Amino acid sequence: MPVVGIPVERLRELLGAEISPEDLLTKLGHLGCDVEGYSVLKRVRCNRCEAVIELTETEDIPPLCDTCGAELREDHTELSPLEVLRMELLAVRPDMFDPGGLARVLRGYLGQETGAPHYEVGEPVLRLRVDPVVKQETSYRPRIACAVIENVELDLDALKILMKLQENLHWAVGRNRKHASIGVYDLDTLEGDLTYTAEDPDDFRFAPLGAEGSGAEHAVPMRAILEEHPKGVAYAHLLEGFSAYPVLKDARGQVLSMPPVINSEETKVTVQSKRLFIDVTGLRRRVVERTLNIMVSSLLENVPGARVQAVTIEDPDEGESRVTPDFSVQEVKVSPARATRTLGIDIDTHQAVELLRRMRHEAEVTGPDEVTVGVPGYRNDIIHQIDLIEDLAIAYGYHNIPPTLVPTFTVGRERPVELLADKMRATFQGLGFLEVMTLVLTNPEVHDDALGAERTGNAVEVAHPISSEQTMLRTRLLPGLLATLEHNLTQPLPQRIFEVGDVTRLDPASETRAREWRHFACGMISTREGFEDIKALAEALLREVGVEWELRPIDEPPYLKGRAAEAVWVGQDAPEAGTRLLGFGEINPEVLERFHLQNPTVALEGNLELLLDGR
Amino acid sequence: MRRFPKEQFLILKGLADITEAIEIPALAAKLAADQALVAAGAQLLGDEGLVEITEIPRQEFVLKEGGQSAAREKLPERRVLEALAAAGKPLTMQDLPEHTGLETKQVGASLRFLTAKGWAVKQGPELTLGEGADTGLAGPGPDEALLSHLAEQEGGRLWEEDLEDAPFDLAAALKLLKGRRELFEIKQKRRRLVSLSKEGRAAVEAGIEEAREVTQLTPEMIATGEWADVSFKSYDVNLGVTPVSPGKPHPMQRVVGETRKVFIEMGFEEIVSPWVESAFWNFDALFQPQDHPAREMQDTFYLSRPDEIELPSDETLIKRVANTHEDGGETGSQGWQYRWDPKRAMTAVLRTHTTSATARALAEQPQGPRKVFCVGRVFRREAIDYKHLPVFQQVDGIIIDESATFANLLGTLGAFYQKMGFDKFEFRPGFFPYTEPSVEVFIWLEEKKDWFEMGGAGMFRPEVTEPLGCTSPVLAWGLGLERLAMLRYNVLDMRALYLTDLEWLKEVPLCR
Repeated sequence: MPVVGIPVERLRELLGAEISPEDLLTKLGHLGCDVEGYSVLKRVRCNRCEAVIELTETEDIPPLCDTCGAELREDHTELSPLEVLRMELLAVRPDMFDPGGLARVLRGYLGQETGAPHYEVGEPVLRLRVDPVVKQETSYRPRIACAVIENVELDLDALKILMKLQENLHWAVGRNRKHASIGVYDLDTLEGDLTYTAEDPDDFRFAPLGAEGSGAEHAVPMRAILEEHPKGVAYAHLLEGFSAYPVLKDARGQVLSMPPVINSEETKVTVQSKRLFIDVTGLRRRVVERTLNIMVSSLLENVPGARVQAVTIEDPDEGESRVTPDFSVQEVKVSPARATRTLGIDIDTHQAVELLRRMRHEAEVTGPDEVTVGVPGYRNDIIHQIDLIEDLAIAYGYHNIPPTLVPTFTVGRERPVELLADKMRATFQGLGFLEVMTLVLTNPEVHDDALGAERTGNAVEVAHPISSEQTMLRTRLLPGLLATLEHNLTQPLPQRIFEVGDVTRLDPASETRAREWRHFACGMISTREGFEDIKALAEALLREVGVEWELRPIDEPPYLKGRAAEAVWVGQDAPEAGTRLLGFGEINPEVLERFHLQNPTVALEGNLELLLDGR
Repeated sequence: MRRFPKEQFLILKGLADITEAIEIPALAAKLAADQALVAAGAQLLGDEGLVEITEIPRQEFVLKEGGQSAAREKLPERRVLEALAAAGKPLTMQDLPEHTGLETKQVGASLRFLTAKGWAVKQGPELTLGEGADTGLAGPGPDEALLSHLAEQEGGRLWEEDLEDAPFDLAAALKLLKGRRELFEIKQKRRRLVSLSKEGRAAVEAGIEEAREVTQLTPEMIATGEWADVSFKSYDVNLGVTPVSPGKPHPMQRVVGETRKVFIEMGFEEIVSPWVESAFWNFDALFQPQDHPAREMQDTFYLSRPDEIELPSDETLIKRVANTHEDGGETGSQGWQYRWDPKRAMTAVLRTHTTSATARALAEQPQGPRKVFCVGRVFRREAIDYKHLPVFQQVDGIIIDESATFANLLGTLGAFYQKMGFDKFEFRPGFFPYTEPSVEVFIWLEEKKDWFEMGGAGMFRPEVTEPLGCTSPVLAWGLGLERLAMLRYNVLDMRALYLTDLEWLKEVPLCR
């Protein structure tokens, strides 16, 4: 999870109440925030695009500006350091990503201000026409929602907070801008109504954010932006295969942005901006509108005095025009009896109302066992009343819930194969063997080739391995044991190791087309280790298992020809004639060489699960 | 007639001849035996009360490296004195090394003693003969005499009492040499005098004889009874031996084994499910939307063999899961508002959690009361480093029970960690797609003075339980086990658990 630094001073101002730093950490922990602690950030500003870059004390200034690509290390202004509260972003609560949103939650939790906040949306001041071309496959980004913010007074810190919020919403809700991307512009640089359309990547040009200057002489074809601009390169994949790229422009044709990649230089927001235009584009209406609600409401929380005005969206696809943003609450009915049953603590209707209001929901008693809840429009995570029961439990405090046990009696039961595995382990340990656990992800070079064995083709294979070392699941334990002996080349001899563990083999008859088998295996290495030693061991194991067996010579890797055998199950208990219980022998010196082993080694492997039948 | 080992027998005999106490070296010489053996034998006899050992403190004068060379080549201050006398005029500090053969540093150091002895006076950069020069030139002082005397002794050492009749004033010599530690030192030693005690004499008079000493008891000695006539050589118990170590379970397996034991004790039934799993059971049945980041290729191992797994044959089950994802179906949820794709549910993955096992168990038998658990390996597409492995082990458990509550979940988790030896734990809100309410478990480690996150838990969402045919509350958890092993056995690098160092296996105490 990405980590966000919440400016402490700002948070305190917005909170408006005295709270000690330790108490704040505790309260955030109770709310489910993963707080790392307090820390101080260095800050520099890019002299070209004015972006503020925050660095931890150990980080160096990056050579290039991430926003505009300027020579940042050479050309920047140092700003005063900033104390922040470092916490992991809580992906499901994007409304808590910024100081304003976090303060909104804390004010409720601390009881200073409860119930859903009300954001008054003013009359529409702008129209935006959606060109049906954005619904076509060749330039598909069908949804847009917008808002206008007036009476804005921004300082550099506030600007930085908004940019970080935008970036984090892109990650959490937008899935790296695929599902939703946000643009913020200086409204006073725009003229007339807006159009959301798509344009030819090679013919259509504009000056992207961070360009050396604005206007026609700095305009670049859109395709070139994707190839050259840092943000273009980073998000080009989202426009892959499109013949026209989505574009947002005003009545004059001034470009606002090329969603979801980059804004234009001319419309960028500065500390002088007084009125802002915000758009969110994406694939699904609900995600786009929720993202807008989170962005706008957090902006209002962070910039005191700001006002929101609506935008009329004319989308021929949707019939009548609609107005965004829409802050109406989502109504969900909660049963306090269900909350009581679920949580195991007594909750009556009035308590439920109080607790839910502290979590910033509207709530009122509407029946003997019914609380009607209005979920604020910026909450993205409430899809069932159970989600509100969790909110209620958090307000109550997990630490206040006394842990108890279920009263029902049940009988514990072990899997038979585990019982047998433990007995097999005890046998090996009694014989002086050390237990090892080896990696189950491996590759055919170590697993088969090194043993001189055929690649049997019955292994489960990974489609996109992280490395060439881990491409398949093991089908037997021996390769891992030999690798363990190799890992311990410098350790004193003799070495005696064993493993009891699962291997996987393809199995067309099984539901998932593969299945696990519990195997057991061991290896012994010393200056004089031979067939006799491993045979004695194999027979000891077979005696302890309590089966009848016959030994037959085998010629198969990794064993030396004439020095290997299998134990075949015979007698009345044997499930079917010729079932192999285990195989053992001296390891072929050719194999020893591949594992760099310089002493005689013997080994054994068998399938424990076969022994479960007939016993 | 008592039998004693050789040295003890000789000591008793030797002491019986004399009435006075005798020093160990003298006794060894008298017995013509090794001094160390005589000392050890005397000690053993002393412990038995047959010999009395008296210790008298004494000082030993030992000449050091600096004293040896001073005795050979005269003290630096004397060399300066003689150079001044030979030159017949004051010499500067810079000239002196050439005249004396001393190093500049030594000349500087000698100044203190020249002044103290009155042999020379420093005026500006020059040294002039002082008023004690004549006395000095007349012959060696007591300090020099002591050094020469010591140098004549073997090893340059002498006991204090041997200096009593020395032909020089010892007290004056010591006074002059005070602080010149580079020349000689005085060691505090002890003389050990031994004599026969009353019991010892009685034993000797009653008759003693020498026993044959043996190292190894043999079967023949036992068979013939010869063991009764021999004395067994005493061993030094601190001598090193070749280490042996028992066969042992792997520390990680111990944690796995204990985890299983704890849940079985608490009345849970053990279940299993395949490593190769369909996305349906790993994700979809758990209400994890098909575009959830955890399902992306960089986090989950998708398989090329097998690449696809049939969906369960129960079509109503598939339909219910699909509807729940799309619009909540009959669960009262809004769902995730997208079109569910059965093809994506058929993709084969390596299970990313053992929750796939509990999901299957829930679907197989959705009616409680039931408690099941599964311990096993899970797979995440993570690069290997000291705290990440692409394969690790988890324990998942569920309680299906009409009366089960969130408080019961906290109680069950608490009981588990308490049984695993962690007394202090804490529950904080957590957020998982398939549980609500969700909780994260932290345990407190006193030696690290910190909280450690152990895993996630919660109550399965109605969107998980209802499509699988379950109407009761279901408590669920998935806890990592490697971290428990790392904390308990102080393993800093997770890789060490699976790239086993045999030395480490031998070192980890079995009983801890």
